[in-house]
Amino acid sequence: MLELIKELCSLPGISGREDSVRDFIIEKIKDHAEYSVDALGNLIVFKKGKKPAKNKVMLDAHMDEVGMIITGITSEGFLRFEKVGGINSKVIVGRSVKVGENAINGVVGIKPVHLVDKDKEDVIPSADELYIDIGAENREEAEKAVSLGDSVCFDSDFIEFGNGFVKAKALDDRVGCAILIEMIRSELEYDAWFSFSVQEEIGTRGAQTAAFGIAPDYAVVVETTTAADISGVSDEKRVCLCGNGGAVSFMDRSTVYDKTLFDRAFEIAKEKNIACQPKTLVAGGNDAGAIHKSRGGVRVLTVSVPCRYLHSPVCVIKYSDAEESLKLVTALAEEFATC
Amino acid sequence: MKKYAQLSTMLEALCSAKGVSGAENEAAVAVSEMLGRFMPVKTDALGSVTGRKEGKGPHILLDAHLDQIGLIVTAIDDSGFLKFAKCGGADRRVLAAAEVTVHGRENIFGVVTSTPPHLAKPDDATKALPFDEMAIDIGMKKEEAEKLVSLGDRVTFNGKYLPLLGNRVSSPSIDDRAGVAAVLRCLEILEEKGVDCNLSVMFSVQEETGGSGAQTSAFTAKADEAIAVDVSFASAPSVSSEKYASLGKGTMIGFAPSLDYKMSRTLESIAKRENIPYQPEVMGGKTGTNCDEIQVSGRGVRTALLSVPLRNMHTACEVCDLDDIENTARLMAEYITERSGGNA
Repeated sequence: MLELIKELCSLPGISGREDSVRDFIIEKIKDHAEYSVDALGNLIVFKKGKKPAKNKVMLDAHMDEVGMIITGITSEGFLRFEKVGGINSKVIVGRSVKVGENAINGVVGIKPVHLVDKDKEDVIPSADELYIDIGAENREEAEKAVSLGDSVCFDSDFIEFGNGFVKAKALDDRVGCAILIEMIRSELEYDAWFSFSVQEEIGTRGAQTAAFGIAPDYAVVVETTTAADISGVSDEKRVCLCGNGGAVSFMDRSTVYDKTLFDRAFEIAKEKNIACQPKTLVAGGNDAGAIHKSRGGVRVLTVSVPCRYLHSPVCVIKYSDAEESLKLVTALAEEFATC
Repeated sequence: MKKYAQLSTMLEALCSAKGVSGAENEAAVAVSEMLGRFMPVKTDALGSVTGRKEGKGPHILLDAHLDQIGLIVTAIDDSGFLKFAKCGGADRRVLAAAEVTVHGRENIFGVVTSTPPHLAKPDDATKALPFDEMAIDIGMKKEEAEKLVSLGDRVTFNGKYLPLLGNRVSSPSIDDRAGVAAVLRCLEILEEKGVDCNLSVMFSVQEETGGSGAQTSAFTAKADEAIAVDVSFASAPSVSSEKYASLGKGTMIGFAPSLDYKMSRTLESIAKRENIPYQPEVMGGKTGTNCDEIQVSGRGVRTALLSVPLRNMHTACEVCDLDDIENTARLMAEYITERSGGNA
């Protein structure tokens, strides 16, 4: 699965521009399941199991990543942009990016610290001060290389480091996509429905229509969530820890999860000796927020791979957490298909 | 980029050899080899790489600094994260979630921590953390980290050497590898022209931490006059084009009370005569470059400054135009040619 994660993270796919991610996934799953693409671009997959399922279970992971979109070109040839998804400006200033279909090189410029007043040395430029420099001499030259509406992705390679850690852009949520692909490519006990959803980062828009289309009884959202197990953060504020397995949510900003399912997840993990942990903070939100309200309601659960520095060019996960999450999600799909 | 393929290859090689102030060894090895093609090379007490080629005319010293800004490891905390201080003028606004290399017993990949959103204070989106509230994540426990990392190890910012449009490139440490490249390119031009000149070259250490390398190497060189090549500010949306140079519009000739006025004007008139694009850079006192140390070394040295315009100075994505490096080299070579009495 590591190679799969690497390939998925290398693909560009900000919200609304998930095409290349979807094409890649279709290649990987087309010989193993039936699939269709809905009006918004969600990739809906039906995988036949060994047995028919008593309940319809939907597994969801989103294909899109946070990034930027080009909104203007200055007369000097610099590009203005807006963020797509929640990105703190401080993680993009002074970084390189890939712009447009041809992935041309650009950098997010910043006024040299030497020219900044002493009392402003810690001030991050405001969003409308940010620009991308592609080396154009003027607007005409820039216009030959870039069009308004072009998407911008972080320029960040997949790197394995330390003790089993992985760094890449877009691990949120390509690692979820990789887990679902692995499931589809394996032999499942029961029939299962999958949605590789679009536009999660701008408000879970894809999952809303995907869930309507699939009309599941149960859903498991496979995600990444913030791991604050870093220097200077006290134990109770760490949310979840890299290396302790998938994080199961009881509540976040968009969903109050089914407590029975939450408890059951830990029982199953214990029975099957799978590492998992509770997400210990009510924060964030994901496709579950849209899915649980679909049609007459869907019982949902979220399993997240703990991820440090979420929504930055340097998402960091521990690979073993992805493997443990795959085991847990597979076990949960079986459980919910028959409970 | 085809126009400057060789220059680009050289700059890329220079930028990829790491050397944070006080630990310039890797960069020193790289430049020693490059400088050695033109003259005998030494490494002096503080680590500066120097070369000497005797010949006709006044003894001219060419300087570019070898070191780059970075970080220095100050502690390994209980969870295995590395605490750090800046080494040279690192900019903390660009550190959150930055990729770095820790130059420990081996090169170790790491990322600088950034505050998770749920722990962000109200002003977190607009304020950079103090250096001592950030740390480097190398994905190891303390015991593992201690085997590979020692206090005092230097840290560099990861960034690729990226071709941009036209002749422009982006990389970390163009400050001052662009200067090193200009000096080497100047030597190449002089060699091609067969100019017999009296030169010292120094690629000096520790400019970013105060200029100790330039002060000591200039003392040893005892030159009659000196030209330092550094980078300086190029305009961008946040940097006024009225006040600062324009990228790609030529080498910047320094004018300042601390620089030798006659040398500055001579450089300017040669640039005009030879049609070499240039831009005056006027400063009101000292220059904030190695010129400040070279000028007062020994009994004093007449000193001039040429600068390559640079955007995003002290970040991992500094941007320069290769045309400006070439023009800096050309102007220096013409100056040296004239001072040494013309072509052979």
